[in-house]
Amino acid sequence: MIKKILIIDDSVTARFFIKSCIHDDTEYEIFEAGDGKQGVDIFKQIQPDLTFLDLTMPEMNGFEALNEIKSTNKDAVVVILTADIQKKTFERVTKLGALMLIKKPPTKESIHDALSKAQRQLEDIRQSK
Amino acid sequence: MNDSNDVILDDLEIDTFKEIMNIAFGSAAASLSDIINVYVVLSVPNVKIMKSAEIADYIKSEAKACGYNNLVEQSFIGNYRGVALSIFPCGSERELLSIFNPDKESYIESDPLNELEMEILKEVGNILIGSCVGKMVELLKESVTFSPPRFIRGDILQNISLGDAFDSDHWAIIMKTVFHFEEKNISSYLFLINSHEVTASLKKALRNFWKEYE
Repeated sequence: MIKKILIIDDSVTARFFIKSCIHDDTEYEIFEAGDGKQGVDIFKQIQPDLTFLDLTMPEMNGFEALNEIKSTNKDAVVVILTADIQKKTFERVTKLGALMLIKKPPTKESIHDALSKAQRQLEDIRQSK
Repeated sequence: MNDSNDVILDDLEIDTFKEIMNIAFGSAAASLSDIINVYVVLSVPNVKIMKSAEIADYIKSEAKACGYNNLVEQSFIGNYRGVALSIFPCGSERELLSIFNPDKESYIESDPLNELEMEILKEVGNILIGSCVGKMVELLKESVTFSPPRFIRGDILQNISLGDAFDSDHWAIIMKTVFHFEEKNISSYLFLINSHEVTASLKKALRNFWKEYE
């Protein structure tokens, strides 16, 4: 069950848009970070069930943050939310262990799809243990 | 003389505009990457508000420009009237051209560009500008008309022409990003310069963009 969600994006606007698409009847605990480095720090502290991660960010970019997060917890469920929609970007984040990539700007449908996939992934991980 | 209050966007408006530009630059990178099969590393977009008279100096310093830059300039007209510049600074154009003509022996920077090479740069600039501005106005639910791209080789300070909308005491909104072509170690700079006249429309469009998520 998804309880804690971490959103890592340098844009206040982007974070608001994601939160706005997430909100429904389910009450998630949402945490936010404004760059990759802060995001990794918060990830280590709270161990979220799901992380939404931007790629183009100052301090530490999303590729580096994803790498760091997966090194900390190989089962971490990370959804990339980015404007960088090149095929190679998709290949790279998949190789680094991201669950999926969503193109910006987010929609309720794309975020709910991510929540469903993340939920299934968490169940698979739980069953495999 | 217009007041700076006419153009100043608040922090949230700037952040939203940056996010829109981020999406637009991403779209431009994907278009280019599809066409020339080179991975484009995006940088965090930058938005600045300054007097028109300061624009050329700003661009020259930000684009690491030297004496003989190649640039593609295109105007766009509509509620987002402005000028877009795609700049290939100081010899990077030769590296870029080698993507299209890998068999050609190494270029010498001082060699003049032939017509085909200038056309290639013009096309690359046109793709970056068209995808980027196109996506920006799509997100803001507007439309613009483009002038044909103009290829210029020379000193930026002498060659940037910002047209009638940019009297020296007018304010302008400048967006900058860098496209870095990974395997080739080339950087190209894209600047979008909006006249102060767009501010009212821009503020309204940004509010509408937010409303979709409220």
